[in-house]
Amino acid sequence: MSEQPIRVMVVDDHPMWRDAVERDLQAAGFDVVAVAADGAQALARFTAARPRVVVLDLQIPEPNGVEVTRRVLEADPAARVLVLSASGEQADVLEAVKAGATGYLVKSASKADLLDAVRRVAQGDTVFTPGLAGLVLGEFRRMTVPADADAGPAVPELTERETEVLRMVAKGMSYKQIAERLFISHRTVQNHVQNTLRKLQMHNRVELTRYAIEKGLDAD
Amino acid sequence: MVQVADRLFAALAVLRVVVTLNMLGLTLWRWQNFDRPAATLVVLAGLLVWTVVVLAASRVPARRTTWLMLADLAVAVGAMASTPWLKGEEFRATVPGFWVMGALLAWAVHWRWRGGLVAGTVLAVTDVAIRSELTQTNYGHIFLLLLGGTVVGYMCQSLQEMAAERARAEREAAAAAERTRLARAVHDGVLQVLGLVQRAGPEDRWDELGRLAAEQETRLRSLIHAQDTVDEHDRDPGGSDLSAALEALASRTVTVSTPGVRVPMAADRAAELVAAVRACLDNVRLHVGLDAPAWVLLEELGDRVAVSVRDEGPGFAEERLAQAEREGRLGVASSIRGRVAELGGTCSLVTGPGGTEWELEVPLSGSAGDGAAARGTEAR
Repeated sequence: MSEQPIRVMVVDDHPMWRDAVERDLQAAGFDVVAVAADGAQALARFTAARPRVVVLDLQIPEPNGVEVTRRVLEADPAARVLVLSASGEQADVLEAVKAGATGYLVKSASKADLLDAVRRVAQGDTVFTPGLAGLVLGEFRRMTVPADADAGPAVPELTERETEVLRMVAKGMSYKQIAERLFISHRTVQNHVQNTLRKLQMHNRVELTRYAIEKGLDAD
Repeated sequence: MVQVADRLFAALAVLRVVVTLNMLGLTLWRWQNFDRPAATLVVLAGLLVWTVVVLAASRVPARRTTWLMLADLAVAVGAMASTPWLKGEEFRATVPGFWVMGALLAWAVHWRWRGGLVAGTVLAVTDVAIRSELTQTNYGHIFLLLLGGTVVGYMCQSLQEMAAERARAEREAAAAAERTRLARAVHDGVLQVLGLVQRAGPEDRWDELGRLAAEQETRLRSLIHAQDTVDEHDRDPGGSDLSAALEALASRTVTVSTPGVRVPMAADRAAELVAAVRACLDNVRLHVGLDAPAWVLLEELGDRVAVSVRDEGPGFAEERLAQAEREGRLGVASSIRGRVAELGGTCSLVTGPGGTEWELEVPLSGSAGDGAAARGTEAR
C-alpha cells in the first residue's frame, strides 16, 4: 500500500454493522473519514470528507443506495463505490452497477475479502462476485434482443472474449484461473471484466438518452 | 356496503328527477283530460314537494329508514288512487305515471329482490283496482312493474355482494403485502447478525458458530428470494421459476448465479432439471469432498437454458464413467444424462486436473421436445 492511507466512507443504517466495518478498516490501516446512516447523510458527508472509496449498503433510508451511487459519482467521478449488500437484492445490485459502482460483495464475505475488495476497488479494479457476473450476463442477453434499427444510438455488445471471461467469473473462477485457462495475462482478464462494466454503464446512458429523445426532453 | 347503496341511491336520484319532469310534461300535454284542474295542481304540488323531501333524505344513509320507504310507496299509491277522481272513470295514464318507479326502485335497492317484488305488487294491485277495464297495455305495464322491481333488486344484491368480496380481497392483499414487508425487515436484521457472527469467524476461534451462521444466512437468503418470486407471480399459470429453484440449492459450499430474473419453466421440467443439478452436486460431495466448493450458473439463451456445475476437484477419467455404465452402475449416467435427455436437452462434461464442469442445455418448453433437442445438438 502507498504511504497515503486510502480514505473510506462507510454507509449503513445498521449501527452494529457499521461499527464493525469501520473497526476492521481502521485496524487494517484505512482512513475512515466518514460514516453515514442514510442517503441524505451520505451525500452531505461525501462532499465534506471526499473519500476515495464509499462502502455502501443498498438498503438505506432515502435516497437509496442506487441514487447515492449515481450522485456520488456525479460529484466526483474519481471516487469508487463498493456495494455491500445483505439480502442479495439482485435488481438493486444491477442498478447500482449500472449507476457506476465498480464492486459488489455480499455482507457475509470474510473480513479479509472485504479489505481486499476495498483495496482493489481503490486501485480502479472491479470486484465481481459470481452472482454479479451471472446478473450482468443475463442483462446483456436481454439487451441484445434487437431493437429498431433506427432507434438511436447502437447498444454496446459484449465481444465473444468478454462473454467468455464473464461466464468464467460467473462459474466462480478467479482471475488467475481464467488467465491460465485462456493463456492471457491477469491484467487482460481484469480489463475484459472492466470493459463489460463500462459497456453496461454505457448502455444505461444510451437508454437514458433514448428515453430523453422519446420524451422530447432534449428538444430545443 | 354503504358505498354501494350510496351510489345506487345517487343514480336513483337522477332517475327521480327525470321521471318527475316527465310527469309534469305529460300532465301539461294532456291538460284537457283532467276534470278537476285545481285539485290536480294540488296533487302535483304535493308530489313535487315529496320528491324534494325524498331526494334530500336519501342522500344520508341514516335517513333511509323504513318509514321513509313506506311513506314513499304510500305517496305513489295515493297519487295513483287519485286518478279516477281527477281524470274521471275513463282514463288511460295515471296521474303520477312513471313517477312511481322512484318508490319501486328505492324498495328494490333497500330491500333487494323481495323489496322490489313487494313494491311492484302493491303498485300493480293499486293500478288494477282503480281501472274500470284492463287493457293489454295495462297488463304489460303491470308485468314490467313486477319484473323490473324484482330484477333490479336482485342486481343490487349481487352488486353489494361483489363489492363486499372485492373489499375483502383488497384487505387481504394489503395484509399480505404488509406481512411480506415485515418478514423482509425481520430477515434483513437476522442476516446482518448472521453476517457479523460469520465475519468474527476463524480469528476468534468461533469457527463452528461462524460456519453455522453462514449456513443459516445462505438458507435465509434463498428463502427471501423465493418469497419475492411468489409475491410477484403467485397467480402465474406458467409453472415454476427455475432461477428460484436453483437458488434454493445454494449452501455454504455451493454458489449459485442466475440472471436475477424469473426464468419460467413448467414445474415438472424444472424439477427434473434441478434433480439433475443436484446429482452433479452430489457427485462433487462424493468424489471431491464434503467441504469442496461448487458453482452453479444458470443462463437463459432464448428458448433454451444452460446450467453449468463446476468444481475444483482433481477430475476423473471419462473412461471411468463409460466403464461404470458398462458394469451396470447407472448412477451418473441415468441421474444426469438420462434426465437431461428426457427433457430434450444435451449434456457435456469437461474434466481434468483443474476440476470438473458439467454443462446441461435444456429447451425451456417441453412441447418443442424432439425438435429442440435436435437444435441443441446442432449448436454444439
